[in-house]
Amino acid sequence: MWLLGLFCFIIGLIIGFQVPILLPAVYVKYTAIGVLAALDSVFGGIRAYMEDAFDNVIFISGFITNTLLAAGLAYLGDRLGLELYLAAVVVFGARLFQNLGIIRRYLLKKY
Amino acid sequence: MRSKTGQVSIMIVCLIVGIMIAVQFRTTETYYNELTRESRLEDLTLKLNSITEERDSLAREVVALREKISSMENSGQSKELQEELRKTNMAAGLLPVQGPGIIVTLDDSTRNLQPGENPNHLLVHDLDILTIVNEMRSSGAEAISVNGERLTATSEIRCAGTTILVNYNKVAPPFVIKAIGDPEMLESGLSIKGGYIESLKLIYGMEVQMQKSDRIEIPAYKGSLRTKHLSPVEAKNNKKKVE
Repeated sequence: MWLLGLFCFIIGLIIGFQVPILLPAVYVKYTAIGVLAALDSVFGGIRAYMEDAFDNVIFISGFITNTLLAAGLAYLGDRLGLELYLAAVVVFGARLFQNLGIIRRYLLKKY
Repeated sequence: MRSKTGQVSIMIVCLIVGIMIAVQFRTTETYYNELTRESRLEDLTLKLNSITEERDSLAREVVALREKISSMENSGQSKELQEELRKTNMAAGLLPVQGPGIIVTLDDSTRNLQPGENPNHLLVHDLDILTIVNEMRSSGAEAISVNGERLTATSEIRCAGTTILVNYNKVAPPFVIKAIGDPEMLESGLSIKGGYIESLKLIYGMEVQMQKSDRIEIPAYKGSLRTKHLSPVEAKNNKKKVE
């Protein structure tokens, strides 16, 4: 399962490097937070899949709302003059490590 | 619930995440490149400043060393030779000189531009300075400087883009042209009716001021003497040619 995900991820990277789209420099920070949230959702989904608790609707909706919410939070923080994106970085970073740890344990158990 | 749809959705999301990360990578990369380009600009500006300072100090050193050489040569040589050397150096522009003369200040026109008029007409050009220098020479000027650049036998006055170069140094308005010679003669030569300065004033509205002075100081030539192709003609050859 996770091999398939990795494969798709690499294909996505290749497509992304070929596509001639560049983000405006102003939004780079917000999209970076969005990418972090998306990564978190993906690892969360893989973890849930391994725990047999995977729900397609929750996964897709979580992916979209987490990404948009994180980018929006960063944007709001900038408008307020508050480094609110740090909250997103800390939360998603911590969850990312947690999910990775659980996935690692499952893989170790499996093989 | 290991369903087929779950696998498909995870794959799709992975694909999207890959694209997002790649685009983000490329964007930040170009962004950082721009940042480094800006810092490079600052770097080059600093370098230019330090090199300009170095050049100026070296030019001062050249003048000081030349004075030292001439004073060294003066000691231990006959009076006539000393006098000859001094005169030659003065004429060649290697010694700072002083004497009575005239100071001409030339600046861009302050007149308003007429509709359809070429804005170039209101600026001082290399040709204006060149013509004034020429008229000074024909009125008996013995030494001339433009903004502190001594004019020598090899000096050039030319246009380089938006600036004027004299002795390969940039000069900027207002141009102060100093000439040593007979002040009356210089003034009448320059302000002759229908002459160049009059037309500059009347037609283009340039700011031209002339000021006679009893004591003008003109600095020495600060550059290096470039004589790559020159060599004196042998006395013998000279005779043959004359014959």
